[in-house]
Amino acid sequence: MSFRKASVLPGFGLTFGFTTFFLSAIVLLPLAALVLAAASMHWSDFVHVVFSPRALGSYRLSFGASLLAASINLVFGFIIAWTLVRYEFPGRKVIDALIDMPFALPTAVSGIALATVFAQNGWIGRYLELFGIKVAYTWLGVVLALTLISMPFAVRAVQPALLEVQRELEEAAETLGAGRFYVFRRIILPTVLPAVLTGFTLSFARAVGEYGSVIFIAGNLPMKTEITPLLIVIHLEEFDYQGAAALGLVMLTISFAMLLAINLLQTWGRRRPVRAAH
Amino acid sequence: MSITLDQVTKYYGGAPVVNDVSLDIGDGEFFVLLGPSGSGKSTLLRAIAGLSGVDHGRIALHGRDVTHVAARKRGVGLVFQNYALFRHMTVAENIEFALRVRHMGGRARRQRRQELLRLVALEGMDNRLPAQLSGGQQQRVAVARALAHKPEVLLLDEPFGALDAKIREELRRTIRQVQRELGISTVLVTHDQDEAFAMADRIGIMNLGRLLEMGAPHDLYSRPATRFVATFLGAANLILARRTADGIQVGASTLCASERPSSTREEHEVVAVVRPEEIEVAPSRDALVSGYLTHGVIEEVVFTGALESLRVRLADGVQAPLLSHSEGDASAALQVTRTQHEQRGFEVRTGQSVAVGVRRLHVLPTPLSSFTACATSMVLAEDLSRQPLLAELATRMKTRIALRIEPHLGVAEAACEAPGDFVGTTVIASQTDCAHRAEWLLRRSAKDLLVLPPQALTPQRVLIHWTGEGARSATLSMSASVLRHVPAEAVYVGILPAGDGGGQPRGMRELLDARSEARAAHGLEMRTELHFGEVAQELARRLADSPQQMLILGLTDLEGFAERFRALLDGGEWPVLIVHRESS
Repeated sequence: MSFRKASVLPGFGLTFGFTTFFLSAIVLLPLAALVLAAASMHWSDFVHVVFSPRALGSYRLSFGASLLAASINLVFGFIIAWTLVRYEFPGRKVIDALIDMPFALPTAVSGIALATVFAQNGWIGRYLELFGIKVAYTWLGVVLALTLISMPFAVRAVQPALLEVQRELEEAAETLGAGRFYVFRRIILPTVLPAVLTGFTLSFARAVGEYGSVIFIAGNLPMKTEITPLLIVIHLEEFDYQGAAALGLVMLTISFAMLLAINLLQTWGRRRPVRAAH
Repeated sequence: MSITLDQVTKYYGGAPVVNDVSLDIGDGEFFVLLGPSGSGKSTLLRAIAGLSGVDHGRIALHGRDVTHVAARKRGVGLVFQNYALFRHMTVAENIEFALRVRHMGGRARRQRRQELLRLVALEGMDNRLPAQLSGGQQQRVAVARALAHKPEVLLLDEPFGALDAKIREELRRTIRQVQRELGISTVLVTHDQDEAFAMADRIGIMNLGRLLEMGAPHDLYSRPATRFVATFLGAANLILARRTADGIQVGASTLCASERPSSTREEHEVVAVVRPEEIEVAPSRDALVSGYLTHGVIEEVVFTGALESLRVRLADGVQAPLLSHSEGDASAALQVTRTQHEQRGFEVRTGQSVAVGVRRLHVLPTPLSSFTACATSMVLAEDLSRQPLLAELATRMKTRIALRIEPHLGVAEAACEAPGDFVGTTVIASQTDCAHRAEWLLRRSAKDLLVLPPQALTPQRVLIHWTGEGARSATLSMSASVLRHVPAEAVYVGILPAGDGGGQPRGMRELLDARSEARAAHGLEMRTELHFGEVAQELARRLADSPQQMLILGLTDLEGFAERFRALLDGGEWPVLIVHRESS
């Protein structure tokens, strides 16, 4: 194919050029540097760093907690988006603006705030303590922090899709005899499902990459509450750049694989009309 | 009766969007609700479907009261303007939706689906997605889907709005055919009169939340009762005329109305409707076959295929007060349409002078014909004619406001300045000593008198009261006429002398009589209230209760008028319309 051929929409050459340049400069080249740095390691060293029990524990926590956080946001983000879109109540605009707060707040601040509230003598932590639930300095704290900072993604992804669901579709279903839950399951959900999945993906991606807020509430006990990004920082502090790069490469690979899988799932879901299964 | 609406009222933000609508739709009838946008017709349809509740009144389907029944249990089929098909489902799944909800078996479902697809002529389209169909086909699917569960009533909300002309016509025919075949009672909402004429067994016309008139298309077209219906349903020339013993006098000519002369002996001003096709143009007065109206000049000739459409400006000096037939059309020229046959008989071109004749005219039964702003000087009269409520009323009624100067207004023994009777509704500004001026005018033959405060706005509630039975019918008819142009609530206020405990049953009976007469003779739904005390005081108290109220007051006797109603009229904050009829 030749770029010279006149296209219906002019400017493809230029815009494509910019796209590749930006992607290269900002995404691809740094990643390549990462791979190169890791590649300069000896294979046995690489395996030693990457498959050390401490690293394995951190993967489990990082990806497990992120998946859990994204799943929580899938459900509660949807409910928040639903509330904001469907109901008219005083203070709606304020709440709508509050959703974006975790975006603007330095993540360290979020972490400190959460740690204060959920610590054993914090406002909420003190009551949870009565039930024997510890949040701060356990994996629960990690999930909590990740949920908080990735929540806006879930809400903001679903909101426009919900706005687009025509009231008339629901009304049509209603006059045809469908109850509320049936309408929700068969009309609303299929329509917004792609957006819900996007929200899930985005908040998962955000949670995996999170560092700042987690380290304040997690307690950072090796094998227990230590996330992979923290482990990378520890390697960096010991001037073990290669080790850090190796761990980074693992994160990169797993994240890419998971995101790709979700994206494929989405495309597949969009192509095929949702069957009226019973 | 398939659908029965009884005094259905729905408020939105304090104002009624559907105002006291009562209606019976028979089995298998195709009923069209016609009205401009914002007239409340869609809201009414949604209320029948159960998608929005009503604030007052009752809705019954096939004798079952469904006022508080959820939409999904009403057994109606609803078709929307934008199809509202489920885009992620195939045609088959869309149509079978209602059947799946009802857990119908697979085989029965398929069979019913085939039946419906045949009915709307879409066989073989089962596995398409809505996005793969044209607009017309999508709407057919929507109709099939709405009929799947064998609803008792089919409701169509502007179903052709999004389609182009050819497809629209085809779909109209299909829907009418399906409707006949199934014998299902159907309500169609539209703002398109062609559509209404083409499909309806009966048309109901709505404006400002009220169901103004209903009837067979032909009856409504040839004998409208209100000027709104006259102008909304087809084109119409509205002409101010006088009803005399001989017939209808327009300017210098007297014409015969299509209906029998009315029983009223008195001469009075009326509004006549002349359809464009009922007007004849000819080279000279002698060449006219029909009654001569006046001379005019052809202002515009537009060829529209089968018909030719003319605008004829009436000759200067002719006293035929033509009212503009469409809003914003200040240049009141006569609208005429002619067939090819007529065109061949007499060809016209722009600028040509012609004689104008009227084949048939119809007189509206409304008592509100025109307004005359009356004041002591030109400046004051002009000021009054620009009062917002008056200007709005005149625009809505498509009528005019004349000016009249009475320098001696209110001077006890002085005679009227301007010659001639008071015609139509006379309007004066409310001020101190207003009761006195009102009496002065009423004693000098003004029959309908509107006392208007400068700051008065469109009322939300109209109070109705009359003293003297002789004024009852005229007051009711005037109230009905006013309320057709104002989206307000009508309240009849009955007043009995204070402490008259024994009079209570009689008072109640009067209230109910008034209400049923208003409903039967004038299509006016009123609420009723009963108060005790002195008439003027009670009315003033009731008016002072809340802002934006208006009073329509019927009188037979002018004895001590100024003294009696001073509290109501002098410097009042509310408009008062006085209807004065001598008791006979």
